[in-house]
Amino acid sequence: MNEEELFRAYRETHDVALRNQIVEKYLYIAAVLAKKFVGRGVDYDDLYQVASLALIKGVDRFDERKGLKFSTFITPTITGEIKNYFRDRSRLVHLPRKVSELRVGIKRASEEFLAEQGRKPTAKELAQKLGVSEEEVIRSSDAGGVVSLDTPVDRDEGGMSLHDVLPADSDVFERFEDRDALEAALRSLTQQERALVKYRFGQELSQMETAKKLGVSQMNVSRMERRILQKLRETMKKAMVE
Amino acid sequence: MKDYLFVRVPLRREMMTTVRLTTGGVCSAAGMSYDGGEDCKVCVTESLLLLMRRGFSAAEVRFFAAEDGGLKVRVEGTEGAADLPASDEDEIALALLNALAADVAMDKAGDAVTAIAFAFGQQA
Repeated sequence: MNEEELFRAYRETHDVALRNQIVEKYLYIAAVLAKKFVGRGVDYDDLYQVASLALIKGVDRFDERKGLKFSTFITPTITGEIKNYFRDRSRLVHLPRKVSELRVGIKRASEEFLAEQGRKPTAKELAQKLGVSEEEVIRSSDAGGVVSLDTPVDRDEGGMSLHDVLPADSDVFERFEDRDALEAALRSLTQQERALVKYRFGQELSQMETAKKLGVSQMNVSRMERRILQKLRETMKKAMVE
Repeated sequence: MKDYLFVRVPLRREMMTTVRLTTGGVCSAAGMSYDGGEDCKVCVTESLLLLMRRGFSAAEVRFFAAEDGGLKVRVEGTEGAADLPASDEDEIALALLNALAADVAMDKAGDAVTAIAFAFGQQA
């Protein structure tokens, strides 16, 4: 039976076996469309389930006498259901967590790759290692990461850093004063405390990495960090009052 | 209409990630929502794949700032020829474009699609 005959027979008989036959025949559309929406924070399996349910509902609503092809009719129906699913349930909860998990995974996989191969991995290699798309790797590495102000913005040696191209604050002199006050406050720290500031805020190492460098525990780094920030805050406040 | 960006792309599957990321950037610059940007990426990819299935080997993607504040996109096959027959996938691709974007229009040479244009409104 061709498409028109199949739907006519189902419309006239409401035979469940015929409906199943139609659903099986067009299930590939649900699969194709579900794949188009992967990477928005919902697993493919969930999308495929939503798309399949929309397909089953759509079979009952389709009227072959209107002259439309079933694929043309069902595609917006399935797309609408998928978009409703995104809107109602998924993104607010899943996306941030998923992205942050992926960021952690990327960092770990990069370190492993470097240790194994002696060079940094490409986005494609990371994607293969993590079982995600290249696009997800690139996007998540752009999402909310900490970027050093010294990051070069062009490829030329000695070129401009991110700090150079950021728009200047309106009160430049105030920033100079802040920097002076900070430098003075840093001089009040012990050698070990200054080293911690350099590792944590200059080189942006993690607390664990800083702990290794200083030969202390991560807990110690955490406590020292709190103490140092408090000390800096008080010293700077005092300097401003004076 | 302000011309945001113009990209000429060889129609190979491995280029799709680059085009999708570029599209995401343009949508973000145009002030579109995350979902709107994702929908636009799907539409651009579908248009390119459709042209590729028809026999084109390169295409141009043009992004314009629409007068109403939204974004207009035109994807046109530039190299190769639209000489392959339409497939079921093309049918789904066109239905998907119509489901996600507004003002979907096509240029044709005979029966073959040579360019696809679509728009996303300010609220997208």
